[in-house]
Amino acid sequence: MHRFGKLTALLIAAWLAALTLGEAGRAAAQQPQPTPQAEVADQAAAASPVLPPAEEQLKQAERELKRLMDHVEGAKEDDTRLAELKVQVDELSKQIIAASVATRPRLDEIKARLDELGEPPGEGQPPEAAVIAEERKRLLAERGAINALTGRAENLSIESKKLANGITATRRALFSNTLLKHTDVSAAMLSEAITATVDESKALWRSISSWLTFAWNYKRVPFLSAIGLSLCAALIFLVGSYRLFSPFLLRHEEEEEEEPTYFRQLSLAFWSTLIPTMALTAFGTSSYFFLSTFNVLRPDIAPIIAVTLGMIVALSFVTKLSNAVLSPKRSNWRLVRVSDRGARRLMAPIFAMALVNGLDYLLGSIGEALGSPVVMTVARSFLASIIIGLILMSLAWIRPTLRPDEPFDAPGRPWPRAISLSLLLMGGALIAIALSGYVGLARFIATQIIITGAILVMVYIGVLTGRSVSKQGAFAETIAGRYLERRFNLEQVALDQIGLAAGLGIYALVLVFFIPLILLQWGFQIADIEAWAYRLVTEIRIGTITISLVGILAGVFFFAFGFVATRWVQRWIDGNIMARSRVDAGVRNSIRTGIGYIGLGVAGLIGLSAAGIDLSSLALVAGALSLGVGFGLQNIVSNFVSGLILLVERPFKVGDWIVSGTTEGFVRRISVRATEIETFQHQSIMMPNSLLINASVGNWTHRNKLGRSEIAVTVTYASDPRRVIQVLDEIAAAHPKVLKNPAPNVSFTAFGDERMNFELRIYVADVLTAGGVRNDLRVAIYERFRDEGIGAPFPMKIEDVTPEAALPEETDPSIARGGDGRERNGRGRS
Amino acid sequence: MRTVFAALFCSMLISSAAEGAMVTNKDGETAVLVIVEGESRMEVAIDAGATEMICPSGCFVTAPNGDRIGLQGEETMEIVNGSVIVK
Repeated sequence: MHRFGKLTALLIAAWLAALTLGEAGRAAAQQPQPTPQAEVADQAAAASPVLPPAEEQLKQAERELKRLMDHVEGAKEDDTRLAELKVQVDELSKQIIAASVATRPRLDEIKARLDELGEPPGEGQPPEAAVIAEERKRLLAERGAINALTGRAENLSIESKKLANGITATRRALFSNTLLKHTDVSAAMLSEAITATVDESKALWRSISSWLTFAWNYKRVPFLSAIGLSLCAALIFLVGSYRLFSPFLLRHEEEEEEEPTYFRQLSLAFWSTLIPTMALTAFGTSSYFFLSTFNVLRPDIAPIIAVTLGMIVALSFVTKLSNAVLSPKRSNWRLVRVSDRGARRLMAPIFAMALVNGLDYLLGSIGEALGSPVVMTVARSFLASIIIGLILMSLAWIRPTLRPDEPFDAPGRPWPRAISLSLLLMGGALIAIALSGYVGLARFIATQIIITGAILVMVYIGVLTGRSVSKQGAFAETIAGRYLERRFNLEQVALDQIGLAAGLGIYALVLVFFIPLILLQWGFQIADIEAWAYRLVTEIRIGTITISLVGILAGVFFFAFGFVATRWVQRWIDGNIMARSRVDAGVRNSIRTGIGYIGLGVAGLIGLSAAGIDLSSLALVAGALSLGVGFGLQNIVSNFVSGLILLVERPFKVGDWIVSGTTEGFVRRISVRATEIETFQHQSIMMPNSLLINASVGNWTHRNKLGRSEIAVTVTYASDPRRVIQVLDEIAAAHPKVLKNPAPNVSFTAFGDERMNFELRIYVADVLTAGGVRNDLRVAIYERFRDEGIGAPFPMKIEDVTPEAALPEETDPSIARGGDGRERNGRGRS
Repeated sequence: MRTVFAALFCSMLISSAAEGAMVTNKDGETAVLVIVEGESRMEVAIDAGATEMICPSGCFVTAPNGDRIGLQGEETMEIVNGSVIVK
């Protein structure tokens, strides 16, 4: 009834909506008359909740695509820009799909409703209600509109994909065009280049001299003051930083130090490179700044000055750095292990390479500023590649390497075969490529070799640093190590572990920092690298498998968090709730272990789902594994389950004295697979849990610690048995640890050969104290019997022994036996 | 025990991480989907009862009944009476 009412209400509402919409449509139709189909579609579009926003998104995407197309058209020569645009286009494709995905639920709704309405009545069937026909028509129209929209999105997505592929193609072409452009290297070309060079140098000289003359004649004061001011700035910077960082720089007393630590060497290299370079940079930037502020610079001169200053800074940096790393004069401060002569000889080619590169760059910008002909660029690149090739080949002849046991002033050995061979090959290949006319390629490779080589040297130094940090005891020597030691009182081992972690961290840092640097150098764009890095951490796809590093890390994080939380809850419940409620230690242990297992399981599940692993596949895996469990892991699983049963049923708990088979001792720990039992000799026995479940286990301290203990007493027939029983009773009653209830009793157990056997049975509250009580009682019995003259309470030979001599000899064995509690207690309890 | 957990973990990792949209044809006859992925428009025939993996990185699909839908690439779909139902 209720449902029917709902349906009616729905129908009325739909009818009303259709009516109003129809009115609106009719009102709109007063103006230019659209086709009835389009009218309905428009109505549907207006009525649909999802169409307008999706329409808006698509329009926006269309505009965006148009804009990107224009940009791509404008940036045909700019690789960096193209790489950025590619990322944007990919993003746009995703947006287009997202816009159409948003319409999907509505389409499903419409389909479901249409199914409810059913097919329109065929020929000869009674016509259906107008409301239903109207609604069907409206829904169909909306469906059509959505489909049309998705169709548009489809076309748009094709367009954007085309654009993306076009960008990739353009970039590829750009790359190969620049690199593989072939020029004929001929005498004519060279002579043309020489003529051009002569012309250009004249032009350069003219413009520089005219500028200098102008500056000197008309702007002398600003020119000189700019130079003076910038020199002042550099000087202040230099002096200030030397004062500030003097502890890090080389002191005179250290100069002769035998073996400075690697960190000292490294920090010296760092600061002695950084400070002069910074000072020079300060000089360069400030002089450029002052010159341009005082309007001394001319537009054609400004770039030349800027590049010259930059080149000087770069050259000095390279020289300082190689000087710091190779340290040709002070062998004990050398960062890499090369011979003295090798270090001196390596300096020259390194400087030469930097100089050639710098000059090439400088001349290039001068050419750009003066508008030199292309042939000069070609000739310059040609020359630079050949010189760099020669330098590389010359590097191969230097003999810098040392054996570990050789001193620094040894003559040195040649490079390892691989290095010298590759140097020779690279140099030769460069020259060959340049000579064969691929000047652009040769220049590119030369630059790559130099800069990649420099980066690799940095990586090598970084790796050396990491290695020296992780060396045993090295971290404690560093400033950070000393600080940690002082601040947190760390042990040597902890410091060593931190050092190891720091070493690994340095390795990771070196990788993270230098790999992108090398990639950038090789012509990859930042946008590309970002996209790769992003994909690397979010999804690594191998075939149809996707692994997400972020997901896995999140999973590990959540698991660790759950684990820590579990431990915390465990401790809290154990220490606060259960300790205060005076819960038995065994129960506490069981509950704690149980909470531990549950928490670990939950943390595992949370971690797995956070790692993006579908838990429903667990069923499949469990099914597959159960076979394996049935066969191979039977024992382990049975032990695990037994452990759980032990925790729940608690036939014994931690601290109990149990006997199982030949094993007897105290339970120390009940863990997943085995229970640790500590014997009286302090031997730990790991007993598999399933054994404890399947075999009979005796527990001395199960419900309570009450226990019975016996002492055998033997007296000769000369004694009065009643008196003996009475004395023994008195002795037992006198001992404070012997329970009154159940009361101790004495039984006359046997008529032995020549003597009567008695047994004193006592009960103690704590069976663990029985040994001590028995000891006390035996001593008391001996003393009482001696005082009362009853006779010795132990077997002895009567016939041929005088009483005076017998006593001391024969007490010994009996007392010695008293320490062995196990024998007597083993049969004490039934 | 640790080995068991490791094995469990690895196998779950492998079994769970399949990617792409899954489409299952529940109809009695072969369904033809038009899939637009990248620059190309292609027709994919799915046999009755068969399951196929399509478009790993987002695409548009035209169902046999003419409906068009956009897919992000991780959906599971069924073809029932010529129309595509996304689960």
